Amino acid sequence: MITFEHVSKRYPGGISALKDVNFELAAGEMAFLTGHSGAGKSTLLRLVMMLETSSGGQVFVNGQNLSKTPLSMAPKVRRRVGMIFQDHKLLRDKTVFDNVALPLLIAGMRYVEIRKRVRAALDKVGLLHKERAWPPALSGGEQQRVGIARAIVSMPPILIADEPTGNLDPELSRELFALFDEINQQGVTVLIASHDLALVRAMSRRVLVLSGGNLVDDIPAGVTGRSAS
Amino acid sequence: MSDSTTRQQMRSWGRRQLYSLFSSIGTLLSHKLATLMTALVLGIAMALPLGLFVSVENLRAVDLRASEFGSITVFLQREGGEGLANALAEAVSERGGAGVSLISPDEGMQEFTTASGFGQAADIFDENPLPWVAVLSPPPGRQAEVDAWVRDWEPWLEQREGIELVQVDHKWMQRLSGLLALGDAVITVLAVLFSLAVVVVVANTIRLDVANRAEEIEVMSLVGANNGFIRQPFLYSGFWYGLAGAALALLLLFAGLAYLQPPLERLMDAYGNQHQLVGLGPDRALLVLLMGGLLGLAGAWLSVQRHLRLLAHGRGIRH
Repeated sequence: MITFEHVSKRYPGGISALKDVNFELAAGEMAFLTGHSGAGKSTLLRLVMMLETSSGGQVFVNGQNLSKTPLSMAPKVRRRVGMIFQDHKLLRDKTVFDNVALPLLIAGMRYVEIRKRVRAALDKVGLLHKERAWPPALSGGEQQRVGIARAIVSMPPILIADEPTGNLDPELSRELFALFDEINQQGVTVLIASHDLALVRAMSRRVLVLSGGNLVDDIPAGVTGRSAS
Repeated sequence: MSDSTTRQQMRSWGRRQLYSLFSSIGTLLSHKLATLMTALVLGIAMALPLGLFVSVENLRAVDLRASEFGSITVFLQREGGEGLANALAEAVSERGGAGVSLISPDEGMQEFTTASGFGQAADIFDENPLPWVAVLSPPPGRQAEVDAWVRDWEPWLEQREGIELVQVDHKWMQRLSGLLALGDAVITVLAVLFSLAVVVVVANTIRLDVANRAEEIEVMSLVGANNGFIRQPFLYSGFWYGLAGAALALLLLFAGLAYLQPPLERLMDAYGNQHQLVGLGPDRALLVLLMGGLLGLAGAWLSVQRHLRLLAHGRGIRH
């Protein structure tokens, strides 16, 4: 589903964010991406979203070679990848319902269909009763779950999350990871960047470890107890 | 691509347009005061050339009775007497295309004494000093026709024997028509300048709107909105700004006309003229609304593309 072949990314000014990164994430797989801040986690996810383009190597998402895809096609690529952000990126002046509906409005879907899908997505994250609420009135955990509902509402085959638990306490973080697990059970490929090692280990899923822009470890699912830094 | 897919895509497109439309109205209404202020600035800018246009149109529409004022007065040499006057009248009738009436020195004197109130002044003279006068009048017609008629007759009269003076009452009308032509030119210049002002004001307002909604634009872009979808509400906003400005301009114009009507009526009465102020017809008003909307759209178009790109660059989003 996501394949990196010798991918490197240099920013202007000579900073190398990624160096010769290789990995493949199969359809329906779930993996964590760990490493210290500045290790290149966000850059890797931004490449998947076509928010950046690689300086070398090739990135395949949904079977499409992003290195050879024109930038004008980036919106189409993004519509097939649900993304969750550390700071949720919800619109404060729109209701929870309208926030979740945004990807479907962009797709030009019928309102009846939008309503059905948004309510299903909100139901899945347990926030159906908050559909008329405004994001600032919600707790941090609730806001993040609205973000997840927005990411899954258009049923993309891939879900990626950048430090989704960054601002949450351990209990809420566990609940959130359980939710990702559940989404993955339904066949969605999930890639989550997180530096919360204890939590990542507890999930006993595949773990990709980045350090200084290099992919230094690739721990298969079910293996626990190995150093992940 | 099958027919049903095309139809589906068209429907999706239509729904996206509808969403942009309502979203733009919602945004404008969410800050009513700022929207109203912008519309008012645009309205005043558009009202100025419109006002001048209506003024000139009204001046043109005043019944200047061109054929009445277009007459040529011919003063004959005194020595010629009645014979010369009759000969002229005959020649004019022969040439055709003009009415002619003769005023004898006696008639002239009578008119002078009654009209001027200097009755006794006439007694000073031993004999009547007034010459025979012929008044040539054009056939009824519009300003331009009367102009042509005067141009045709004036030289013919001047080259005739026994003519003391040819006086064209028409001159002041030509001056007025020159002034009206100048008015038209001024309107054109003003219309161009103020149209430019409308475009610039809308462009600047849209620039601020883009900056105010940077967060929303970023989020829309992140969840897969393309440039067109992000741009659309701003283009609609530009159109609404222009349309609202034009509507306010019309409102200002009609309010101004209503205010001017009573004093103007009194003035026209004093000249024994009847004149109803003419506003803009419904078709012209509609044209003004449409032009306003299009100018707003142009301003938004100029602004939004550039500022979305700057914003995307600043936030590291690629559209």
